[in-house]
Amino acid sequence: MIGDASAPILSQQLLVTVAEQLKMPLLQLARQAELGQLAGKADLAAMQTTADTALRLIDNYVLGVRLSLDQDQLELEPISVSSVLYDSGHELSKLARGYGVDLELHVGGRYSTVMANRHGLQSALVSLGAALIEALPALEVPQLKLQLAAHRCRYGIVAGLYSETEQLTSEALRGGRALVGASRQPLGTLTHTAGAGVFVADAILKAMQLTLKASRHHNLYGLGTTLQPNHQLQLI
Amino acid sequence: MKHVLLVEPDRVLADTYRRAFIADGYSVTMCASAQSAIFAADEKRPDVVVAELQLIRHSGIEFLYEFRSYDDWHDVPVVINSQVPPSEFSRSWQLLNRELGVEQYYYKPSTTLATLLSAIRRLTNPLPAS
Repeated sequence: MIGDASAPILSQQLLVTVAEQLKMPLLQLARQAELGQLAGKADLAAMQTTADTALRLIDNYVLGVRLSLDQDQLELEPISVSSVLYDSGHELSKLARGYGVDLELHVGGRYSTVMANRHGLQSALVSLGAALIEALPALEVPQLKLQLAAHRCRYGIVAGLYSETEQLTSEALRGGRALVGASRQPLGTLTHTAGAGVFVADAILKAMQLTLKASRHHNLYGLGTTLQPNHQLQLI
Repeated sequence: MKHVLLVEPDRVLADTYRRAFIADGYSVTMCASAQSAIFAADEKRPDVVVAELQLIRHSGIEFLYEFRSYDDWHDVPVVINSQVPPSEFSRSWQLLNRELGVEQYYYKPSTTLATLLSAIRRLTNPLPAS
């Protein structure tokens, strides 16, 4: 597995993208610190959120690599999708506030549990969410809203992140995957950054034998993954 | 009060620059895209433009072509403060400088607020010709 150069999670392209992405929070920190020195008062809460964003990206990247290298780490457990979405929202709330994005949880109805690796699924959703939160203000959409949402489809339960932006398409995702590492801005119609959060989420889900796909939630556009309901637990 | 048009797609970074410019005595309009920057320029008549090249949909270069196509904005100084390393423009500096009127190109990760403010002060308060 280590020698498998085709595995995207191990690719140098993803590492380059993560490194490129990390410049942003470090740059924010450097300028926030300088402004604090000039003004005599630093916004420490904002600096902490910025540092946490960088640390989370590194953690999620490392998790993706570890999961793909060692499938034994991929312990499956029955998990509630609603609960994972709720915890992901909690983890993203400070970042969303910093970017002026309203983060909403939308879980219509009750869902049966799914078998998945909870840590992996939550890390993928948080990674994806962070990338979209940073992108939304730059897209200048009328409403800065992002929904963490779940819905049923014919293949299972879809969990993902949704907004009004029409740029969240399969074409954008496909193009981004092809350009990752080669372009400074592989998701050029979606984000001004390297979009590393999207590709790290993609890699974590792939290591979990799941797929990141474009999907719709009511009238919103988004990216999500389809999870299989655990029918055995449903019978109990 | 001199007015800065800041074209910066990252909200957190834009807010940090805005606060620094205001503290230095400037008024600021922030735009995240090329399109909104053109509208803002029309409305606010900036004394200087500070722009990132890496935007969504239309790039900063496209913004500059559009911006310079209007007679009113021919002489407004433009400073590039970008994530794109200047080495990528080493062969096209003539285009940026002569055709698009870019006065200064800064690589954002290594450009302090002090450096940027110093350039803005120089461009908005040029020394009288001797």
